[in-house]
Amino acid sequence: MDFVDYYAILGVPPSASEEELRRSYRLAARRFHPDVNKSPGAASAFRDVDSAYKVLSDPHERQEYDRLWQQYKASAPALLVETFLSRRYVRPLDEPQLLYVLLKVQPVLEMSLAADAPLNVCLVVDRSTSMKGARLQHVKRAAQHIITECGAEDILSVVTFSDRAEVVIPAQPVVDAPSMKALVSTIRAGGSTSIRAGLQAGLAQVERHRHPRYVNHLILITDGRTYGDEEACLALAREAREAGIGISGMGIGEDWNDSFLDRLASITGGTSAYIGSLEAISRFLRERVRSLATAYAERSWLNVAPAVDVELDSAVRIAPSPMRLETATCPISLGALNGLAGTRVVLQFRLRTGASASGEFFVGRLDVGGEVLGSGQHKERVTLDLNVQVAPDAAQEEPPPELFDALSRLVLYRLQERAREAVESGDIAEATRKLEALATRLLEQGQEALAQRALAEARQVMRTRSLSEEGAKQLKYGTRALLPSTGDAGNDQVSELPT
Amino acid sequence: MIRCPNCQHENLEGALFCEECGLSLWGDAQEEVSTRELEEDSDEFSVKSGWGTATFEEKNQVIIHIRDYPEPIIITPGEEFTIGRQDAASGIFPDLDLTPAGALEKGVSRLHAVLRRGDDVLSIADLDSANGTYLNGQRLAAHQPRLLRDGDEIRLGKLVMHIYFK
Repeated sequence: MDFVDYYAILGVPPSASEEELRRSYRLAARRFHPDVNKSPGAASAFRDVDSAYKVLSDPHERQEYDRLWQQYKASAPALLVETFLSRRYVRPLDEPQLLYVLLKVQPVLEMSLAADAPLNVCLVVDRSTSMKGARLQHVKRAAQHIITECGAEDILSVVTFSDRAEVVIPAQPVVDAPSMKALVSTIRAGGSTSIRAGLQAGLAQVERHRHPRYVNHLILITDGRTYGDEEACLALAREAREAGIGISGMGIGEDWNDSFLDRLASITGGTSAYIGSLEAISRFLRERVRSLATAYAERSWLNVAPAVDVELDSAVRIAPSPMRLETATCPISLGALNGLAGTRVVLQFRLRTGASASGEFFVGRLDVGGEVLGSGQHKERVTLDLNVQVAPDAAQEEPPPELFDALSRLVLYRLQERAREAVESGDIAEATRKLEALATRLLEQGQEALAQRALAEARQVMRTRSLSEEGAKQLKYGTRALLPSTGDAGNDQVSELPT
Repeated sequence: MIRCPNCQHENLEGALFCEECGLSLWGDAQEEVSTRELEEDSDEFSVKSGWGTATFEEKNQVIIHIRDYPEPIIITPGEEFTIGRQDAASGIFPDLDLTPAGALEKGVSRLHAVLRRGDDVLSIADLDSANGTYLNGQRLAAHQPRLLRDGDEIRLGKLVMHIYFK
């Protein structure tokens, strides 16, 4: 059921006259029409406005719609959406300025307690030669733990892959755990790594029982790189996203391609993680599955329609499972909405008010939605507009503490990213500067082990003009794991630093 | 624009953290930092940020306090001012000769580092020295100038010094 609140989209009361509707439509057209606003988010926002206006401007259709709207209004809201802006007042300037926004999406509490969605999960396990020995043993043991923890209402499948994929356990309810565990123990290592083959077979298993009632998810566990079929894998991830299947990636050791796994997961709003020690495999996998089980809404999404003079610089999910979000796709996948902690995203906007602006300045429109699991009829979509005031004498404001705290951690992740980019483009001086700055900031925040790692990588870069595979991953996942503020969330992202 | 007090990068209005070095740009960051006395006593390998001014005007001089050396050295750097260890045999005469401060034992190269005067700033660069130049505990890549601030700690090999602007 995809009922859309056209009144909210046009920003008018249900009693609005035709004249009010027209005025509101024109305003929205000026903001979002593809002729004036090139961002993909705006195109989507304009389509909504357009269909809203088409229905509401026709007296007959509007009457019909109003009847449905009354029902909709009576239903309970499913999502609680809040925004925190880094400032309310900006100065009128020709030069661009930054505005940060913390977006919090919470499930409505009483419903979140009721939600306990069954799983439809496929474990896709790399059994290539490099997994031989302890690695595969640990993964097998972790898979067996998960089988024990699943109930008869959950659907589980296990697929292995090397050059090609094999279905070890076809998707089925977990009623006969001992037999399933025995099947897992038969997995042997051998062959090379074709992630595409594994993904394809895994998705086919999830597909067999795919239903909105379930948390439909695939967990990929690998220690290697896939050669030549990255694009095919990403295409599969996009198909999965359309079908409502999430993908999480877990990399073991140092050799896997983390930026590829990140992209793969972020397309579906899933998560990717680095497992530094073998002992952590089981914990990681169980926490991942457990966090899926507390999902409240699968496939939550965010559409950002910035105003004409505004750009969305970046979007980073802070919790759960911190991750830079793919903003090129529209809408942005936020992944499963956790029933307990909710989802938090930091958005960075770049605005140009112009030197002669005054009064209210429209920054952009945010649309948030999600398919609430097992829900009847609920309001599953929230539309809100961001505005700031332009004032020549705007003073510095105290940013919301939660936003500031998130940014102070995000800055570490960014420095790490930029050091890496600098290494890749061969700018060694820049890379060492960024790593040294990262070390300084890490020390300020009391993260000594990571700071030492950053300094060690700075020396490594000076000597060899490249980062160590291990160090690069430790810095990336280490700074990423710091993203959720210490107080809450962050439950499924554990960083493993070597001792 | 907001100029970062640490690295001088010009950040966009509204930025809460410096884009280049990650320093918090909000509030009175400068006041939160430890006092200079503490820095002087701190371990020579510690990493910390200096917070003194980076402005070094035409009329300014540099006072160098070398650890375990009784007298501060006052210099007036020109456009380029080399620091090292004099070696008449190979004809190397740095502008500042650290031989009296035990340069040889402490691993100072003959041409170890160079100070350069810019527009109201002073920078230091390592001259590909054998044992490295450290600014506030961080090793500098060779030939990459770094801005100096009042109160910074410089280490040449094992020779530790603090510089102050006057």
